Amino acid sequence: MKPLQIPVEHKALANGLHVVVAADATAPVVTVGVYYKIGFRLEPQGRSGFAHLFEHMMFQGSENAAKMQHIKLINSSGGVLNGSTMYDVTNYYEAVPSNALERVLWLEADRMRALKVDDENLRNQRDVVKEEVRVNVMNQPYGGFPWLDMPPVAFRNWANAHNFYGDFADLDAASLADVQTFFRTYYVPNNAVLLILGDVNPTDGFALAEKHFASIPAGPAPKFADPAEPKQSEERRGDVVERFGTLPAIAVGYVLPQRRTADWCAMALLDQALHGGRAGRIYRELVLEKQLAVEADGGIDDIFGYNGPSQMTTRLLHKPEVSSDATLAAFDDIISEIQQKGITDSELEQLKVKWRSDYFATLEGGRGGYMPKYGLMHLLACFTLFDGQPQLVNTILDGFLAVTMERVQNVACTYLKPENRAIVFRKPAAVSQEAA
Amino acid sequence: MATQAPRTSSTVPALAPEREVRWPQRTKAKLANGLEVILVESHTIPKFHGELFFRSGDAAAVDRGVSLAEMTATMLRTGTTKSTSREIEERLRGLGADLSVSAGQDTSAISFAGLSDQAEPLLQLVHELACQASFPAPQFERERRQKLEEVKLERTQPGFLASERLRKILFDSHPYALVSPTEEQVSAYRVDQLHSLYRDFYTPENAILLLVGDFEPAKMRDAIEKVFGTWSGKRPIPRESPVPPTPHGRQVYLVHVPGAVQTQILCGCHAITRKHPDWIKLALTNSLYGGAFNSRLVMNIREDKGYTYSPRSAVNPLCQYGYFSVSAAVRNEVVAASLTEIFYEIDKLRSIPVPETELLDAQNYLTGVFSMGLATQSGLLSQISTLALNELPDDYLETYRQKVRALTPADVLAAARTYFDSANMQIVVVGDRSQIESQGALFGEFKLFDSSGSLIS
Repeated sequence: MKPLQIPVEHKALANGLHVVVAADATAPVVTVGVYYKIGFRLEPQGRSGFAHLFEHMMFQGSENAAKMQHIKLINSSGGVLNGSTMYDVTNYYEAVPSNALERVLWLEADRMRALKVDDENLRNQRDVVKEEVRVNVMNQPYGGFPWLDMPPVAFRNWANAHNFYGDFADLDAASLADVQTFFRTYYVPNNAVLLILGDVNPTDGFALAEKHFASIPAGPAPKFADPAEPKQSEERRGDVVERFGTLPAIAVGYVLPQRRTADWCAMALLDQALHGGRAGRIYRELVLEKQLAVEADGGIDDIFGYNGPSQMTTRLLHKPEVSSDATLAAFDDIISEIQQKGITDSELEQLKVKWRSDYFATLEGGRGGYMPKYGLMHLLACFTLFDGQPQLVNTILDGFLAVTMERVQNVACTYLKPENRAIVFRKPAAVSQEAA
Repeated sequence: MATQAPRTSSTVPALAPEREVRWPQRTKAKLANGLEVILVESHTIPKFHGELFFRSGDAAAVDRGVSLAEMTATMLRTGTTKSTSREIEERLRGLGADLSVSAGQDTSAISFAGLSDQAEPLLQLVHELACQASFPAPQFERERRQKLEEVKLERTQPGFLASERLRKILFDSHPYALVSPTEEQVSAYRVDQLHSLYRDFYTPENAILLLVGDFEPAKMRDAIEKVFGTWSGKRPIPRESPVPPTPHGRQVYLVHVPGAVQTQILCGCHAITRKHPDWIKLALTNSLYGGAFNSRLVMNIREDKGYTYSPRSAVNPLCQYGYFSVSAAVRNEVVAASLTEIFYEIDKLRSIPVPETELLDAQNYLTGVFSMGLATQSGLLSQISTLALNELPDDYLETYRQKVRALTPADVLAAARTYFDSANMQIVVVGDRSQIESQGALFGEFKLFDSSGSLIS
């Protein structure tokens, strides 16, 4: 097995903006990303959903590129673009034919320098965001399950526990002044990283970054609220009504070990043992063998992409004739077995091969499969903003491949216990009405 | 709002000269047993992506059972004459591989990806699934039960209800009308039907094996010969299907979902397949209309009016027929307003030639996005697979850009007039009757269905 040698170059401009370039001339395509170190976790209290609404506003116009210009210039250069809001970062990204690189950098710099939006833009995007919430959550069976259902049950700190898509009343209360403040506070170059990947010569990439971004003034270092959670002493449970679906659903979330520790690496392989597709113990036992559940999936979502409390979450839809208690008991049997007996040497070897293979796949594609190098971009950005070390992309695998059987069993015992978990029961309204 | 900061350039940088798009060589071979093989090198990561597809799917199986090809595909990995379900899954994991088996209307396919240094054992497993599946009875009963829950669940999804209704309207007695089985149809599946379908469809003469990735083609060819060379079987006789109806006049089909807080709109009409000479013309026209973020429909009903989050249009190319569709999930109060804008933009493209600059933008978009397939193994596989399935000419990838660039405003006008059949578009709205019925009824003759698919009035 060859060690990874992705050519990663990293510099910081005088204004504090990190610039990371990873060249690869396979295709005449370049991927550009700008990541800001602010996500929905630390958005202002009383403004739930604001980080995401703000992300929409970043497409509504800047000093020299009016509304619709940004989208039009990328599409008409032969490229695609999008943005997304996550727990601890918000990203904006484009993949374009490499002859459009300077144009993309100019656009990203223009909106980092000076967002230019008005009340009408805000009203328009508030409407769009409400339809996004309706189509993804309120008008879908199991919409928001468990990513919106779990946090208020599992966590006590508002940062981790609030509605990340936003209560409609909070969205309605958001003003242009809030947009301005949020922009000035968090969207400063010293709170961001620019990534250029693919068909670019690194020297040219850094020179273009300097040309377009260097004159953007740094701002005061943003102050972040503390997302730490008070110590949990017992299992937490909550109920949510399912309005459309007919199957009862259960989500079980365990809080993860500290990022970049040996326990964290072992937890990732334990996650693979439990949730690794049809070979994973949970799917195998609950769907294939005991046949209690219809769907069983989940695990650690985006393991490298968070910088605060997070969970490994199992998602189950079970048969209506099986009780939730019986389903949960069968789930608990799987957990106890791995706590008592651990995993075998050959199982661990399989898990490592699969983990390595999945890591390669993430580098090439990852979330947003149509975007070349999205996964590599995401990892480089998180390793830069959270760890100050984009080079981790070449070495982080080592820690996972060094995990031992003992360590896996150990983290199963330490972290998979009731006082470290929360359970959400999503119960179909239709079924309870029929029964009544 | 504008913050105070020193400026640099206020003008958009011009595009630099284009770097040439060079598609990788495709190595083609045909084994003595009839299996076609296409190999493409791509060294982006030390992995490879592959697909073994068979030119028969649910449409070819419709006389035996609705979605029976899909049920057969689902069963493949649950056991072979050599391996149990658990052994198959653990072998895959040990090889670092992903694998899925599925069937659509036109094909059945085993799709897979794995590490380059484990290529031959993965091909052996694919071969085992392709010719030694055993359809164990207990697994069949389990998968049938899973399917029953799945068909109940999909009836609670607005997107499913809309596309199910539109397909029935456009295809009627043609098998493409049937996107999913009823619970009764699932209950009637028999394991001997799966055996016979498997025998008929999963043959080397009916198959194409595509591999894209980090390997040497000559060595990979030898491995394929070794693994697949002794397999045998004939191509099945194609099934003749009735010609679909051509609906006249706009009609509105409301699927009633009590309590829906949003309305799913889906409009559609017949169009063409990828083999048709007008395909690229229509693809460009669709991209101008609603196929890109920068398209007219998105700019109108999202960015200007805020009616919806995700409006889009598409040309859906099945192998025998294609259809054009427009979809948007909108708030209940603006169903009529959204339909008005959907038809306004269609009629505008049908009556006023598109400005040259807008056309050029759309041409750049389509050619740029097409070339992105080059950058990833999975993207390249999907391009090669589309070509093979539709029997498109060998130079399709190389000539696509120039064909797009040669199109004129007159071509777009002609394509819109021919294929965006405004006067005969069929309109499906899925939502709460009490909130949207009067709005929907303004647009044509009106029919009402419930979410089980039954006509109410």
